[in-house]
Parts: sequence; structure tokens; C-alpha cells
Amino acid sequence: MRPLFMVAMMLMPLTRVCAQETAAADATQEPAKPDAAKPEAAKPDATQPAAAASPVPATESWLTGWIDLGYRWRTDVGGNFDAYRTFVNLGSGPKLLGAEFTLIDPKRRWFDKIRVRAYSWGGEPYQTVHVDAEKSKLYRFSADYRDIAYFDFLPSYADPLLSRGILLNEQSFDTHRKMGSYELDLFPAKRIIPYLAYERDSGTGTGATAFVTSANQFPVPNTMYDLTNLYRGGVRIELRRFHATLEEGGTTFKDDQSVFQNSGTNYGNVLTPALGQITSLTGLLAAYGIGGSSIYSKALFTANAASWLDLYGQFLYSQPDSSVNYQQKVAGNLLLQSPLLFYTSQSYLLSASAKLPHTTGTLGAEQRALNRIRITESWLTDRLHNSGSASSNSIFTSSSTSQQIASVLSSSLVNNYNQAEIDVFYDATSKLMLRGGYRYVWGEESDAVLPAAGLVSSDQARLRRNVGLGGLRYRPIQKLSLTAEAEVASSGAADFRTSLYNYQRVRAQARYQAIKSLNITADFTALLNNNPVAGVNSNYRGQQESLSLFWSPAKVWNFQGSYTRSTIYSSLSYLDPGTLQMLPSIYRDNANAATALFNINLPRAAGSKITAGGSLFTSSGSRPTTYFQPIVTLWLPVTKHISWFGEWRYYGYGETLYPYESFHASLVTTGLRLTR
Amino acid sequence: MRSTNAALLCAILALAALQATGQPAPPYVGSEACGLCHEDIAKAFTKSPHHLVDIDKKRGWDGKACESCHGPGQKHADSTSPQDIRNPLKLAAAAADKLCLTCHLNQPTHVGRLQSSHAKDAVACTTCHKVHADGPDGLVVRKPAAVNEQCSGCHLNVWAQFQRPNHHRLPEGAMSCVDCHNPHGSFRPAMAQTFAANEPGCFQCHGDKRGPFPFEHEPVRFEGCGSCHEVHGSSNPRMLARQSVQYLCLQCHANLPTVNKTRTIGVVPPSFHDLRSPVYQNCTVCHQKIHGSHVDRNLLK
Repeated sequence: MRPLFMVAMMLMPLTRVCAQETAAADATQEPAKPDAAKPEAAKPDATQPAAAASPVPATESWLTGWIDLGYRWRTDVGGNFDAYRTFVNLGSGPKLLGAEFTLIDPKRRWFDKIRVRAYSWGGEPYQTVHVDAEKSKLYRFSADYRDIAYFDFLPSYADPLLSRGILLNEQSFDTHRKMGSYELDLFPAKRIIPYLAYERDSGTGTGATAFVTSANQFPVPNTMYDLTNLYRGGVRIELRRFHATLEEGGTTFKDDQSVFQNSGTNYGNVLTPALGQITSLTGLLAAYGIGGSSIYSKALFTANAASWLDLYGQFLYSQPDSSVNYQQKVAGNLLLQSPLLFYTSQSYLLSASAKLPHTTGTLGAEQRALNRIRITESWLTDRLHNSGSASSNSIFTSSSTSQQIASVLSSSLVNNYNQAEIDVFYDATSKLMLRGGYRYVWGEESDAVLPAAGLVSSDQARLRRNVGLGGLRYRPIQKLSLTAEAEVASSGAADFRTSLYNYQRVRAQARYQAIKSLNITADFTALLNNNPVAGVNSNYRGQQESLSLFWSPAKVWNFQGSYTRSTIYSSLSYLDPGTLQMLPSIYRDNANAATALFNINLPRAAGSKITAGGSLFTSSGSRPTTYFQPIVTLWLPVTKHISWFGEWRYYGYGETLYPYESFHASLVTTGLRLTR
Repeated sequence: MRSTNAALLCAILALAALQATGQPAPPYVGSEACGLCHEDIAKAFTKSPHHLVDIDKKRGWDGKACESCHGPGQKHADSTSPQDIRNPLKLAAAAADKLCLTCHLNQPTHVGRLQSSHAKDAVACTTCHKVHADGPDGLVVRKPAAVNEQCSGCHLNVWAQFQRPNHHRLPEGAMSCVDCHNPHGSFRPAMAQTFAANEPGCFQCHGDKRGPFPFEHEPVRFEGCGSCHEVHGSSNPRMLARQSVQYLCLQCHANLPTVNKTRTIGVVPPSFHDLRSPVYQNCTVCHQKIHGSHVDRNLLK
């Protein structure tokens, strides 16, 4: 709530100044001049009524806008309240549901215009406020702040205790992410535009996680706090035939997570004895002290090298780094499997660091040497090299002995990605555009942690892909347009088993205004991906068909609705780690989603209307789910500047395979809109 | 013969030059004349950022902003026929865009234009931008809900994914499509936004996943969040691409290690991972730092 309050406090003096100035301006304003003041020569035809009846602009109010204040009641949530909080999380209480207003300084001394919009304040999970202020040719300022509550407690995600009848998510959290973004442009619309910006992103909250040891995992609470500050500044040079943007920026980062257990005995997820003993945790304090920073540079340019040639390019370089001081103290009856050791306490210290220089460059050109043909060429390289190191020291203590284990690890990760593409656009007629092109993608990736341990010490992969591109846009009449595009690719290597390999991607869309009051849009997309390499044998088919329409046959009512059907089928083999036998993994998702909204303007009461509709989602396959949200809203004007509104909304969520996560709830909201 | 040809060429060029200089000035009528008939548009236009074209002499169109896009208007003013004036809405998309880019190409917004699928599919600037409009949204909608409505007008199937229970908070109005996508184009796939120059835009909000980590999980760096998450929305928890964690992880962790350089990344887990046990069916219970770890090579803490 604090940022909204601060913005309101900042604006209050301004509103007073503006109110005084508007009053003064109103008092001194001369009577409007008649149309005769307009130059006679400019009038095309004296018989045209529009020319004769040009009204005088009315005086603008210094403040215009609206604010919605209301109260919401939530019924008892039927079913799983945690799932309700995960998906919806709306509560009861007084709310500032929304506000939008524009403030004008008639004398344009400090600003020309300030626009503010704020939504969902008063304990809501999505609180946002945005402010734009500008003074012509001098500055443009924007501020954006969001406070989003993230709650997640779905046992189906991480509950190894479900077979014991315990509903728990060992990776759950209840956090807020607060994001602020503030940018100031100086001398907008001039040729040289300096700018400064500051962004801040923080997350705070609590959650549950698991403390992992060799033979057991112990669900424990944790607290989270991370903060990223980003500072940047630069200059845009916008000339008639050339533009360059130069920017320097940097970030600071910290992540202070702590995991703890203060009292009691925690027997963890594994109750079966290990080597004859049941393991347990009686005390834990683990603290992550993570800090980081980065610098980055950015250079962009565009140019009209000739009337038939445009050039584009960018060079981007960033180098984030991080350093870690991790401390952990553990007590209990715990087992270390290698070397085999039961211990009652452990003290663990680790310091680590990582540095990730990352360079990106692009170049492109658009040529229009021929009248109907455009050729675009682009090239991209993205090179990312991370290197890290960690040194740790661990002391295990048991009733009879003490053992120290130290280790030093180094890591590296390399990703070199390159892409070159050429496209030819041909305007066959003024109504038909055809295009064809070719893209080649290549790269190398590797990842290693040394000294080696386990099955693999380093991963390496290559990327080689040839892609054919095609598309068309056809607009035979103003009311009808058709767009289609296709990609067909063949690969020689890929990073992952699920990566795009030999694939075909198609998209088609049609938009048609059947009659003046009816607009129809249809959309089709499909992706077929296949990797026939022995040991992979992956097969993916995804397809979506959508239809939407907007129908407004009368002023009294209109309807908008959409329907989408989507299907996903994925088949992949995997090795069972225990048996090393090849097993199939098949994923299916057949989904239907629909949205509908009827708007009815009530007769005999200007400004009053009823809106009814909502959304519906059902799916079958690997995770059958239903989720529907009907809504009815009623608006009634009370006076010229006050309207009353009421809203009923329902949330229903059902899981066939995980019925314990289902819920339903009704919400009723009522309030007033004050308009000026 | 050669000298005759040269003389003839010179004569033609001279004639052409004479003709060019002898042509009357372009028949512009000025914005004020346009406003006499197109009153509403003219009124809104005075509050539009484009009004700068009309009042800034340096741009060369002072008093003629309308004709900077619509072309000389004298003929249309005389006849009042729509046929006698250029209407960018009725032009082919490339021709309409060329008009806009006459002024706007040389701006940072358009650096990624060649990678933009909007440009490739001939989605004209005026599909999203209102050239004359005033109001809180100015030339283009800014409110998150309005942005989402505009994008979903074409991207129906994407909007349908947000109707799924696990989704980014777009239907709630807390986010908009342009928070993640740059509609003018980006060097990243799917026209994704970037953060701190060239990092994925996802890190703007998910700063705790940014790293760099001494122990990275390769998909995050090589293919991005979309390799495991359905980033618009999913029926599965955490917007995962599979119904449960184990099937997602096993997609990649299903190979025996080999020395073949062309193989894919990811090896089968050690044999103690008994997938019949609930403990091992929930991979992230142990491998909780799945986006990368500052502490543990196996992403356990």
C-alpha cells in the first residue's frame, strides 16, 4: 500500500496548484472566437455542414478520471483452501478496485500531463500502480510498481508423503514479489535523448523445503529474501538517416535464504531404517549468503544507408557474477553414505563464486532494390561462458569420532549459438504478399564440473539445424485477411532429447468482417517434432484451433466469445534408473477452452448495463482438469458522477487424478465508481 | 556516333531537369483545411503525440502533418472523394509501414525488426497503433488489460492457454503480453524481452533464478525457461510441461553417458533412484535448486 500512498502524497500538492491555476485560467479566458476567425481560403466548400459547425473546444478539466471503491465478500471455500490460494487468492474486505485519472497543468509549468492508474489495492494479490508524467520537449517520466503475492501449495507437485495420507508440498511458498521500474527521458522528440532508469525486484516470504542428506530428506521451513537493483543510463541519438543508442548499466543482487529447524525431532520422508538405524533431524540452521553484481553495455543502431537499403545492428555485453558464503549446522542422527558414517552433528562451510561473460551481436539488412521484392538478411551470435568454483569444508562429529571432508570444485558452462537467415518478400499484387526464406542455426554447448563424480564429468552437445521458411498474406477485400506461415526444419544435432529436431510448424489465421456488426477470427497452429536418433525416438504433436467472434447487432447488446481446442501428444522413451530398461513416457493433453461475454445495456437507464459470461476450461489426458469462472456484473448510475456496481464471480476447480486439490468459491463485490 | 549519343543524352537530361524545375509545387492544403471536414480527427490529433509534426518546423511538415502521411491533399479537398487521397489503412502492409518508418525507423524500438514475426507476416504498424488518437492510451493501448485484449485479438490460442489454472497473471490484469514480449522484435525467440542487455526477460521478475550459478542446470542457459515450463499457462503445477515432475526430468535424464560428441545432454540418474518409491517420483524434493545451485553440484541445496 505504501507506494500508492506515496504517489498520492506526491500528487496532492500538484493537484492543489492545478486547481488554483485552472480557476485562474478559467477566469481570464477570453470568450471563444467564432468560426470566422478561420482563414477563408482553407474552407473547401461553404456548403459543407461540418465546416460551418466547428464547435469551440471546451475548457479541459484539470482532473479527469474515475475511482472504484468497494467491498468483497468471499464465501467459505469448499475443498482445498490451499489450492484456492494457489490459483485465486482473492479475499474479503474493503478494496480500492481501480483508479485512473489524468492531471493537467494548464500553465504547463512543471508538467503538461500526469496519468495515473492503479488497480487492486487493499490486501489484493495483484496490486499495481503506474504513473506517467510528461512535459513536452523537456522530459517524460514513467513509474511502475507491482506487488504480486505468490502462494503455492499443491501437494501433487512435491509430496513424497502422500502414501502416508499426509498432504504436504515440500517445495511450497508464500511470498510477495515487489517490482518497481522508474525511467526518465530527457528532451524527448529531440535528436539527442539522454535517459536514466532504475528497476528494483525483490521477493520475500516463507516456505517449505527439504533438507537433504544421504539417506533421508527432512521437510523444514525456510525464509526467503532476494533483491535485484538495476541501474542504467544512456543516450539515444536519433538523426534523420541514422540512429544509435548507447547504454551502460549494472545490477546488484543478494539472496539471503535460510533453512532451519529449531526444536523437535523430524523423521523425514524415509522411515525405513538405514543400516539398522532410523535417521532423524533435531536441529538445523542453514544460511545462504549470496551476493552478486553485473555490468553491461548496449549499443544499437539503425540506418537508412540508401533509399533502398536499411541496416540494423546491436552489440550487447553483460558480465554478471556472484559470490556465495554458505553455512550449515546440523544435529540429529544422520548418515553419510560415502564414506559410511553415522554422525550426530555437522558443521559445513562453503564459499563459491561464478562469473558469466555474455556477448551478443546482431546485424541485419533490408534491401528494396526491386519494386516488388524485399530481401532481408540477418545474422546473430550469442556467446555465453560461465565459470565457477567452490571450496567447502565439512566436519562430521559422532559420539566416538570426528571426520573432516574438504573439497574444491570448478565448473564451466559454454553456449555458443549462431543463426543466419535470409527472407525474400514478394508483393505479387497489392493484395497478396508471398515470402520464402532459409535459416541456418548452429552452435556448441558444454558443461563440466571437475573433479568428476558419478556417471558423467562433462556434457557436450552440438546444434545444427536447417530451416525452410514460407508465408503469405492475402487480403482480397478490406474485410477479409488471411495470413499463413510455415517452417520446415531438418537437424543434424540438438541439445536435448526434447529439443526441436526435424520439425514442421504451421500457422494460419483468417479475419473476416462478415457484416458490419460481426467480426470473426479463426486461427490454427500445429507443431510436429520428431527426433529419430537411436535412444531418443521422441515424437511430439501439438495442434490448436481457435475461433472467436464479436457480434454487436444492436446498441442494446453485444456478444464476444472464443473457443479453442488444443491437443498435445508426446511420446518419448526413457531408461529406468533402477533397471536400465527402456520404458515409454507418453503425455496427452486434450483441452477445450471457451470464453463468452454478453453485454446488455439496460433500456431507460443510460449508463446501466449487465455483463454476464466467464471462462471455461476442461482437459482430458494425462492430467484431466476442469476450471471455470462464471461472472455477472451489474452497473447502475446513481448520479452523473457516481455509479453503483455489483459483481458475482465463481471459481470452480476440479482434478480427476488429484481430487484432494479441487475447490470452489463464490465472491460477491459491490461498490461505487466516482467519476470526474 | 558516340558524340551524337552523348549529346542526345545530355539534351534529354537537360529537358528532364527543366521539366522537374518547371513542375508546380506539391498541392498541399495544410492541416487546418483537413480539420474543417475531419473535425473529430483533427481535434483528437491536437492532443496526439503526432501533433508535434504539425508544430515542429525542424521536421519539415509544419502545418501539414496530415499530408505527411496522407500525401498532398489539394485534389481531395477539391473533390472530397476518398479516391483522391492516400489512405494508409488501405495500403499493403509494407507500403503502410514504409510511411511510418520514414520517421520512425531510426529509433531503438526497431532494432529487432528483422527478427519480428509481425514484420514477416506483414502486420502493419496501424494494426496496433492509432495514428490520430488521443486519450489515456495515446497512440497505443497501455493498460495491461487493454494490451492483453489487443494481442489476444489475433493470438487466440495463446490467450486460451491463460484460461488454464496455472498461468502468469495476465487475465488478472497484473501483467501484460508486452511485459514478456517485444512486439517490435527481439533477437530472442518468440520476440521475448531482454533484461540487463542480453539476458532473458524472465529474470526481470524472477531475479532469484538469474545466477550466475557455480553449478548450472543446462536447459536454463541453453534453451530457456520454455524447455520445462508452458510459459503462458498449463494444467500442471508450476506451469510444467508434464503432469508430474518425474516425467519432465526423465525426458532428458534418460541416456547412458557416452563419449559421442553429437549426443544430447542429460544422463540417466544413478541406480539408487528407485522410481517405484514416492520419494524418487518427486525429483525436486531433493534437487530443489533445479534452476541452478550456488552450493551443490547435484542441485540438492
